[in-house]
This record gives sequence, structure tokens and C-alpha cells, in this order.
Amino acid sequence: MRVASWDIGKLALRPRLVWIMALSSLKVRLHRTFLTMLTIVTSTAFMMYLFTMPRSGDLTERQSWMLMLVLSLLVCAAGVLNTMLMSVTQRYREIGTMKCLGALDSFVLLAVLTESALLGLAGALAGVGIGLVISILLGLGEHGLAFAQHLRLDGLLWKVPLVFAVGMALTTLGAAVPAAIAARMPPMDAMRGEK
Amino acid sequence: MTAPAVDWLADLQDQAEHTVMARGVSKIYHMGDEEIPALDGVDVTIRTGEYISIMGPSGSGKTTLFNVIGALIKPTEGSVFIDEIDVAQLDANELAWLRCRKIGYIFQAYNIVKVMTALENVTLPMLFAGVPADEAQDRAVEILDRVGLGDRILHTPKELSGGQQQRVAIARAFANRPAIILADEPTANLDLKTGEDIIHLMKEMNAERGVTVVCATHDHKMLDISDRIVWMEDGQIKKIADRDEVKIEISQMSEH
Repeated sequence: MRVASWDIGKLALRPRLVWIMALSSLKVRLHRTFLTMLTIVTSTAFMMYLFTMPRSGDLTERQSWMLMLVLSLLVCAAGVLNTMLMSVTQRYREIGTMKCLGALDSFVLLAVLTESALLGLAGALAGVGIGLVISILLGLGEHGLAFAQHLRLDGLLWKVPLVFAVGMALTTLGAAVPAAIAARMPPMDAMRGEK
Repeated sequence: MTAPAVDWLADLQDQAEHTVMARGVSKIYHMGDEEIPALDGVDVTIRTGEYISIMGPSGSGKTTLFNVIGALIKPTEGSVFIDEIDVAQLDANELAWLRCRKIGYIFQAYNIVKVMTALENVTLPMLFAGVPADEAQDRAVEILDRVGLGDRILHTPKELSGGQQQRVAIARAFANRPAIILADEPTANLDLKTGEDIIHLMKEMNAERGVTVVCATHDHKMLDISDRIVWMEDGQIKKIADRDEVKIEISQMSEH
């Protein structure tokens, strides 16, 4: 029989808090945030460059560069994975404490994913821009002011979104496992005494 | 003929007067092939509004009992009721609700979120509970003032001493007006004087707000202010003593 003066309720997810958590985590670890973003920037810039590079290079060379592109994208995903894992393990107790205070698993999951998505967004945006700029500069160097005819500027409408999407997908992929680990962490880990 | 009805009433009254009830609680941990019993058939009833201390050497099952009561781990056997609600019946979201609204946790290492100010730390559980931001902030200011940190609400943990951080933790634990406060060795990281201040603050808050306090401790200063003391040994409750009995024992101890 229940004689409690209250009934069990449900908690709702607080999107605004998710946002605040993700932002503050990025801000606190600013150096690492910057370095991780750099890996995203370089690999997306590389991809964007390959898509728009001047036509003078011969085809076999471009193909071998595509292989390097795949490698660089993998390195980027591994970098994000590493960063997010560190971000999560460093905050093990913090996350456990928040769970004791009423953070839902979905809250923790979303906070970590949002954190990496913000990284990806900024990194991919910068990468797309930097890749284009490199292409243009190299084109200028090779062909002078008539560079535009020699660049692969066709299909920019799909190239830019594609490069951007790949950058975002990589960061999400890299963050998926750490986010799941953080979300499933038992709150009792926060109770342990060690500092 | 009236006897059963009276029994029933007495039962009801009895139920209304306790906050936590553990019945036949066992917890077995597995280490490889080995089974390590941390709790072995524990029965305990915690009355509403009392200040109860759990004492015992490390490895006595103190922390495990504490975690079970706090709905942080599931017992292998037996059940835990918090205000007559069987914790085992709750799903993940309801457990989070219970932790958020009905239980306040105080930790040995304070566990203040490092990147947040004292005010933000105290506001956090209220925001999780869905209290509007303005109201949460007002309440946080009020309660921080109560624990004696009125002039430090915008300080981060780095700028606060251990005792002050534990005050923030106490304010945070009381923020959602919980039914129970669970404190795990709250004075273990503090010096004697600061530890005493923290103990008295907890006792005052317990009396003022009628919140049940359960405190796992090694600290003998805690005995003086506890309503009851539970002694644990080898995963079992060895003894439950009222304060009066304890006082006699202490005076006997000091005579020898």
C-alpha cells in the first residue's frame, strides 16, 4: 500500500541545459578544443582542395591523393574519438554527480554529442573555406588571373555540402562511443572518495 | 472485533512515520569466480526526520548499504522502500526523478562541478527538476545564504576552501527540498574544527526542515548529534542504538 505524500514523477529533458553543458565543456578545455578542431579543419580542407584543385595535375596523381584523403579522414575521426574519450573520462565524477542530481542518460548523451557537433560545425566550416582558398591561391600561382577556368569549380553546390557533411559525420562518429560510455555510467561512481 | 481495525490503523501510522525501509537486503559482488557478500540480510527502518549515522570499519558494507538506500545500486536480494515506494519497481527515468527530487547527496570529496560557480551548482538540480530559472536562482541564493555563503555565491570551487565547498554541496543537496539527505563521510576530508561546523550545519538543517539525514561516517563527533546509530560489521547490522544509549557508552569509554 502506498501512503506516501507524493507520487513518482518523470523528468523531462532540458535542451537548454544540454546546450549550456556542451558550451562550457568546450570553453573549459579550450586548448584541446582548438587542437581537435584543427584535425577536422585540415582533413576537410584537404578534401575541399582535392575537389576544386587546378586541372593541370594528371589524373593518377589525383587518384593517389584520394587515398591520402581517406587516410586523413580516418586520422581525423580517431582524433575526435580520442578527444571526446578524454573529455568524458576526465569528467567521470562530474557526470556521475550530475546523474545524482537528476541528469538523465539522454541528457548526458546529448551533451557529449552536442559538444562534438559544435566542434565539427566550426571545424568543417573553416575547412571548406580554407580548402577553397588553397585551390584559388594555387590556381592563381599557376594560371594567373584566369585561374577560375582551370579550377574544378563545377558542382560546388554539391561539393561544399558534401565536404561539410563528411566533416560533421566524422566528428559524430568519433563521439558516438564516448557519448554512449558517459550516458551509461552508473551514478555511484561519483560516490567514490578519491579526488 | 475492533482489534484488527486498530492494528491496521497503527500499521498505517507506523508506515507514515518512516522514510526508508530496507527488508532482507543482500548484495553480492562478483570478483572473477569469487562471490563477495557486501551485505547479508540487512533490515533497517529509518524514521521520518531523524538523523541516523551508519558506522563501521571499511569493508563492513556501510557504503554498499548507503548506495542501496540511495537507489544508486540494486540489491541482489531484498527490497528497499522509500516512502512506501518500492525502488526496484522504478524505471530509469523514475529513478532519476527520485534522485533529483527526493534524495540529496553529500559526498566525501564534495563533488562540486568545477567549472560552475556556487550559485550554478545549487541551481543545477532545480533546473533538472524543471523549476523556472528565475525561481531556481532566488531559491539558490536564499539557501546559500542559509549555509553561510551569502557573500560567495559567484565563487568557483577553486576559490573556496574545503569546508566552504562542502557547504555548497549541502546547499545543493537541500535545494529540491528532498525527503532524505544521504551523506557519505562528509567530514572525512576536513580538519577537526571545519568538520564540526559541517556536522552542526547538517544537524541544524535536519531540525529546521524536518529532512531525514542518513550519514555514513567514521567520525565520532557525529555520535553526539545523531538520533540513532547503526553499527555495521561483515555486511550485517551488528547493533542499532538510540542516542541515550550511546551517550552512556561514551561516558563509560571516557571513564576508562
